Amino acid sequence: MSKILSKRTLLIGGVGAAVIGAGAGLLVTNKAQAAVDTGARAPNFSVRDASGATRTLAEFAGRTVILEWTNRGCPYVQKHYNSQNMQDLQGETTDDGIVWLSVISSAPGEQGYVDGPQALVHAREVSAQPSAILLDPTGVMGRAYGARTTPHMYIINPEGVLVYQGAIDDRPSARPETLQGATNYVRAALADLAAGRAVATAQTTPYGCSVKYAA
Amino acid sequence: MIFAAALLAPLQSFAEPFRTENVETELHSARAAVAPGERFTVVLRQKIREHWHTYWRNPGDSGEPTEITWRLPAGYAAGEMQWPAPEAIPFSILVNYGYSGEVLFPVEITVPRNAPVGQSVTFNADLYWLVCSDVCIPEGGAVSLTLPVTSQGSDDTIWAPRIAAVVAALPRPTNAEAHIGTGSPGRLSVELANATAIRNPYFFPFSRDALNNAAPQSPRVGPSGLSFDLQPGIDDNLGRAALAGVIAYEVQAGGAWTRRAFEVNAQPGGPLPGTDAQGATLTDDFVGGAPEQIGGAGGTQTSESSGAGPAEAAGGGVTTLLAALAFAFLGGLILNVMPCVLPVLSIKALSFAGGAHAGEARRHGIIYLVGVMATFLALAGVLIALRGAGESAGWGFQFQAPWVTGGLGLLFFAIGLNLLGVFEIGGNAQGIGAGLASRGGDIGAFFTGALAVVAATPCTAPFMAFAVGYAVTQPPLATLAVFAGLGLGFAAPLVALSFMPALQRRIPKPGPWMERVKNVLAFPMFAAAVWLAWVFAEQTGAIGALALLSLALALSFAVYVARWGRFWLIAGVAVLALTAAFAWRPLAGVAPVEAVVAEAWSPERVEALRAEGKPIFVNFTAAWCVTCKVNEGVAFTPRVSAAFAERGIAYLKADWTNRDDIIAAALAEHGRAGVPLYLYYPAGGEPSVLPQLLTEGIVLDAIDGGGE
Repeated sequence: MSKILSKRTLLIGGVGAAVIGAGAGLLVTNKAQAAVDTGARAPNFSVRDASGATRTLAEFAGRTVILEWTNRGCPYVQKHYNSQNMQDLQGETTDDGIVWLSVISSAPGEQGYVDGPQALVHAREVSAQPSAILLDPTGVMGRAYGARTTPHMYIINPEGVLVYQGAIDDRPSARPETLQGATNYVRAALADLAAGRAVATAQTTPYGCSVKYAA
Repeated sequence: MIFAAALLAPLQSFAEPFRTENVETELHSARAAVAPGERFTVVLRQKIREHWHTYWRNPGDSGEPTEITWRLPAGYAAGEMQWPAPEAIPFSILVNYGYSGEVLFPVEITVPRNAPVGQSVTFNADLYWLVCSDVCIPEGGAVSLTLPVTSQGSDDTIWAPRIAAVVAALPRPTNAEAHIGTGSPGRLSVELANATAIRNPYFFPFSRDALNNAAPQSPRVGPSGLSFDLQPGIDDNLGRAALAGVIAYEVQAGGAWTRRAFEVNAQPGGPLPGTDAQGATLTDDFVGGAPEQIGGAGGTQTSESSGAGPAEAAGGGVTTLLAALAFAFLGGLILNVMPCVLPVLSIKALSFAGGAHAGEARRHGIIYLVGVMATFLALAGVLIALRGAGESAGWGFQFQAPWVTGGLGLLFFAIGLNLLGVFEIGGNAQGIGAGLASRGGDIGAFFTGALAVVAATPCTAPFMAFAVGYAVTQPPLATLAVFAGLGLGFAAPLVALSFMPALQRRIPKPGPWMERVKNVLAFPMFAAAVWLAWVFAEQTGAIGALALLSLALALSFAVYVARWGRFWLIAGVAVLALTAAFAWRPLAGVAPVEAVVAEAWSPERVEALRAEGKPIFVNFTAAWCVTCKVNEGVAFTPRVSAAFAERGIAYLKADWTNRDDIIAAALAEHGRAGVPLYLYYPAGGEPSVLPQLLTEGIVLDAIDGGGE
């Protein structure tokens, strides 16, 4: 009897070992709204870009990726676009082979929600230069990253590790004059990465409008 | 003289307000006339449009505080703008701190000693604020206030009392002792008399970076004060630096609830005694509370609050960990009686009755313990690794849960079959030899432990949720310790049994009844499998249920025939593999979501689209048509739907699940008596019939060949 049991459990135990990892993950889903830890692996995502193609983090493995949460109706976003501040940074980084993904998590009916063609038209109007505009109307990607404001910036290194998250600079205001003399955290973090250093300021409190998630 | 000033005042004192659509701003003075050398108070009043708000000095997760910049005549000086206690304003995953309705910000202004009496003085201020509802608008403008200067000055009869009340209600620094503890959450405890009589307490930090503003604060009160559980923000230095902010609460005064607030500057330290006897009273409309706690002081005990109990009561680091360990051990003990676990353990217990001599029983007990511990620690390791890899956040949208429920459902089904004696691989193994068999016994004991832990996972969510909830917020070592506590508690009963022959003797003598018990125990396992299958069907729909039941069927075939020898074993495994090849998609959580929205098919719709010159793809299908579902899973990939979208192909679906003569006629027209049938109409062309066994390539070729 006990021998029979042993063999059975041997077999099932093997199956069980495979299930156990998944079981652990099931339990973790209870964890609330936790943002990703800086220094941890950035969560993968699978969302459509403005041209309708499905984009994932995995496809950019080996490249530095910048995520920019944006909402064209938000005055904080406008501060950085009307001044060309954001476009300049997009141009600099993409010229260096860095992937820049602008993410729109506004839900349908909320401020900043656009469909793909609208997103492309607006990007052209403001001369934005992202590598792609990701549309996240369900907010799944935004919530996975804990994106709270527009703008909210993330830098993922070529190994897929989140190395910076937070504000774009140290001036939490919508007033354009605050750009004068501001320290751009993204530029600073990229300089650290380029010099092979650890990112000195790896996490800051983001500022801006709330991300207009679906209720 | 005073009389004269009072007469003059209405003529000379006036304020220039500033209005936007959302905010009306105006300066008001407590003094109708000011005297040289005095200090008096003005207020900046914001009247905010309904459902909109402006922000406190720390705006919280988004927003920006109101700013005032004075332009004062020479010699005049203005103090800092003072901030009334704000409200917590939740918005999706954020919590902001600000004001709604009307807010008055007091500012003290000093009049120079040499201010010329008999003249008017004008105070100008430039303002900037952010006002938000679901959208935000930065606004700004200028306001001014003109007052006469008289030798004695005079109060403004309307505004003096109002401003006095506003100033009196400002949060003030107190001598109250306050401590902030380490950890996440860190416990903020504050001295306050009559704390048990207050309601709706909330802590507002001054620093934007100090706290996770959106986390519930779980306020508690006691005879000597109140306390909060605070989650650290970006600074992540709770308990290692002073924490300053405002505590607001309501207290009953003269029959009505009145809001009070005071400033605290908590020093690092353990919790103050007498500050957490019971949950604070939170009203239904209070936005700062966790919804579980609404309903009264010390009243509701949800699984969450009872789970957090020991940790809360203990407070500081080591004690919290010890309490969590004790709770984990207890939780582990209770896991033994869970319906998924009991059958597995009962059989193991019966094996002791099967005449195993003391030494062997003890060895098996130890090995079982090792199996349980190894599995629990592996579970902890997986958790830590997942957390390290940032997967916890990503898990939800990878939809891996169906694979877990499906896998466990199949596992329980297999265990049930074995308990019924449907398959006994042991029959094969028995002939191999005593040496191997006894080693098999050891390995068996190890895997009984492992299996019991795995089997426990779905039945024990409430307990595991607490342990995991506590563990994930802790450093890896503490996580491992909590899981070790769970494991020890879990293994304790059976290990005790294996070490106590006296207990073993109380188990009835072996006999045919053991077989019967074993068979009966199969049914709780099947019940668990049924429940999991239902959950799985909820997650994946009818197709998922079909896949899971097919797999269960193939699995039962494989394990049943395996006893007949190697050939049959291979055949069984082949059947299982073949089934899995077709059924893996829902199990793996790859929902065959058709990104291209299918329109309902009708001959009229086809004609209309052809008239527009649009290409059309028609899918004749039915829920009961296995080939159709396999085709849809295999061929209608995201690539295909992208290609449809790109080429502007209209995707029509004719659903023949129920009897439909029009669809039947259309099928007959193309020489078919049934589904599936796939038609592709190129723009302006005649339809081509696609093969009945579809692949992604076939679909792409068809639309490439005929479309352009």
